[in-house]
Amino acid sequence: MILLDGSTGEGGGQVLRTALSLSMVTRTPFVIENIRAKRRRPGLMRQHLTALAAAQAICHATVEGGELGSCRLQFTPGPVRGGKYRFAVGTAGSATLVLQTVLPALMIAGEPSELQLSGGTHNPFAPPYPHLAECFLPWINKMGPRVEAELHRPGFYPAGGGEFSVRIEPCSRLAPIDIAARGTIVRRTARILVAGLASGIAERQRELLMQWTTLGSEDIVVEILPNSVGPGNAVVLSLQAEHITEILVGCGEKELSSAAMIERLVKEMRTYISSNAPVGRHLADQLLLPMALAGSGRFVTMPLSSHAQTNIEVIRRFLSVPIVAVSQPDGLAEVQIGR
Amino acid sequence: MARRKTVVIGFLGSVLDGGMGPERWDRWRPTVDLCRHEDFLVDRLDLLTQKKFNHILDRVTQDIAGISPETQVVPHLCELKDPWDFEEVYGALHDFAAGYDFRMAEDDYYIHITTGTHVAQICLFLLTESGRLPGRLLQTMPPPGHRRSAPGGLSVIDLDLSKYDRIAGRFEQEKKDSLTFLKGGISTRNRAFNDMIAEIEHISISSSAPILLMGPTGAGKSQLARRIFELKKSRRQITGEFVELNCATLRGDSAMSALFGHVKGAFTGASTSRDGLLRRANGGLLLLDEIGELGLDEQSMLLRALEDKRFLPVGADTESSSDFQLIAGTNRDLQRAVQDGLFREDLLARINLWTFHLPALRDRPEDIEPNIAFELEAISRRINKKLAFSREAYETYLAFARSDRGLWRSNFRDLNASITRMGTLAEGGRITGTLVSREIERLERLWVRPEGATTQPATFADLPPQHPCGELDLFDRMQLASVLEVCRDSRSLSEAGRKLFSSSRNRKRSVNDADRLRKYLLRHGLTWETIGGAYRAPAGGE
Repeated sequence: MILLDGSTGEGGGQVLRTALSLSMVTRTPFVIENIRAKRRRPGLMRQHLTALAAAQAICHATVEGGELGSCRLQFTPGPVRGGKYRFAVGTAGSATLVLQTVLPALMIAGEPSELQLSGGTHNPFAPPYPHLAECFLPWINKMGPRVEAELHRPGFYPAGGGEFSVRIEPCSRLAPIDIAARGTIVRRTARILVAGLASGIAERQRELLMQWTTLGSEDIVVEILPNSVGPGNAVVLSLQAEHITEILVGCGEKELSSAAMIERLVKEMRTYISSNAPVGRHLADQLLLPMALAGSGRFVTMPLSSHAQTNIEVIRRFLSVPIVAVSQPDGLAEVQIGR
Repeated sequence: MARRKTVVIGFLGSVLDGGMGPERWDRWRPTVDLCRHEDFLVDRLDLLTQKKFNHILDRVTQDIAGISPETQVVPHLCELKDPWDFEEVYGALHDFAAGYDFRMAEDDYYIHITTGTHVAQICLFLLTESGRLPGRLLQTMPPPGHRRSAPGGLSVIDLDLSKYDRIAGRFEQEKKDSLTFLKGGISTRNRAFNDMIAEIEHISISSSAPILLMGPTGAGKSQLARRIFELKKSRRQITGEFVELNCATLRGDSAMSALFGHVKGAFTGASTSRDGLLRRANGGLLLLDEIGELGLDEQSMLLRALEDKRFLPVGADTESSSDFQLIAGTNRDLQRAVQDGLFREDLLARINLWTFHLPALRDRPEDIEPNIAFELEAISRRINKKLAFSREAYETYLAFARSDRGLWRSNFRDLNASITRMGTLAEGGRITGTLVSREIERLERLWVRPEGATTQPATFADLPPQHPCGELDLFDRMQLASVLEVCRDSRSLSEAGRKLFSSSRNRKRSVNDADRLRKYLLRHGLTWETIGGAYRAPAGGE
């Protein structure tokens, strides 16, 4: 039984989701205490419960304290069973986070899986779907399993109601990957997604992108999404380098002007480009766990976020594989997993 | 154990929950918003709706499915012709509550009062407050303007107010204040007495049933009744007057009339109609002291007035009505009076629902000290002189008051008179040892019952300690006591003389009544100054 403290590090959801993934894969039970102890509303929130319910469903886990507001949770996993699952996520909470939780177990399970996920797909507080599909999954596929995702309907905040499906062909052993260099950026494109909003917004965002970046009008596509439940807007920047493609997503918010949203996105892009790191911040967070499961690997990234550090702490509790992050003279971090 | 389910009951808001196009997401829709809180999960939403709002219902149901797939939306048709008609809305909701299968063991119920007309909100509140909707009220509010897309506020209102610390503290203070008030501001220490007052406080506030106060004369029945009245009045539980009557003062025919009134011409001398005390106490509180002295006829009429709030005035054809609270006082054993056929058993049963025995002062020795302090202050204020015991005098007096010698036969009346006497005689407001020992002698004489005498006028206390003619016959003693009583009730020697000699005064043309009285007093070694004058006119009286 592994005992985790939910009040340390980033706390809350990240610790829980990482622990759930690792517990299922290693079939090790765990207890997490002081869940979100320092928050105004402590204990488990609904988004945690949906991740928990999904994990419980695929491994028939025994759960104690899995209620709203509970500050202590005990999770005892059973054997992981691939198959057809449907997970619906409420309060526009992100369906991509649920996928992240169950994917590690399902991609090395004994049988293939088909997942139907519904809920938020493009929202500001979680990995947006384009990043998942175009940045994260390609690397997972390089590790052995075949994971294909298809978006049927976007789900924007606050209405949610997005849908995507994921097919997983597991593999028995994950292959290590090494992402040491980016190479030259060969192509930059932008997609502006708009649903249920005046098309003037897309035009304004296109103008701003052209004004503040070297993107030309032929590099920018506007997609009007007809089947979204609620209104929404997102801008997806794709930076294709020789060895890696980075995806940066800006999500429109009610209280955020187009200019502020584009400015924030362009800033993020410039930071990434000037860093020369191949692996961006979000991808670094997400790759740690699968690479640790593979037992070895290496990637170079920007200085580790506190999210990533929390992830490493939790991984160390479940797996004996060494994870070392070495700061380099150019400000980058080289993360070495295994020996 | 299965998790308890959260069930919310509320109206579909025809206005607030409306909106069909994408812009509906820009607006706060209470019913939809209720389902998107990270820390509040609605398992089932019972929505009261009408056919004509089906389009809104469908939209809201769909939207909730998207943002909260865990929530099951169950519509309940509740057709209302006029949603602002209180009677109709209450009736419809009452039917809904009566037909609803509440599973208290499995579900937690919340009553969402943000949607629907104000009338609907009032009805939901009333049904929740009366327990017909066994849940807690749920109030939601829009998010602040700068976070328009975030979920709004949500607060649960538990009508069990004792669950709120600050509110409970307020009640505690209010209760403390009421108790202090009922005790007349005296911090009594006797546990039994304090417990009794706490019980009286509780009953006074929560009931309007008759209260029976038993206890010896002077134990404070009338004061307590008046304070109960004031307390109820301050809580706006009573609107009428405080009407007080000592039944021992009622005699013969006038008793009926005094209590129940009469019509003009009901009997000789009834030249005008009279309402009577019961009628005057309508909406208020009626204190009937010495209720054991009431005649049997009056008793049966009173019983009817208590039971039906109706009674027949003397000589009237039609009944009068009055709704009053009764407090009855007695120092008689009413059970015994019932056995002796002097008191109606059914009336006793009606009035002794809440019976309290006010203890005699000598049974509450620990309360003598706070009462002395209270009386001293009250008298200081009345005679406008700051009064204080010398330390030694105080200890002597207190020791006597608490000892077996302190009989306090007339209880607080005695204590009040005793402190009044000492306060009046105190030079410069200082109550000395000498004053105290003289007062103790006076009290002891007052409490000694002469042989054969069954009652004893209070004014026996005023008989001089050393009578010039030695021991007096009971005959003379009683005459002297009555004379002294008249003196006490008079403002001057002349007034007392006029009263005492009123008959002979009418016969003789001019008589110096005052002089006659002075001479009588002198024969007993007394002067106006040492008796009546001492009480009424310290500056010299006549």
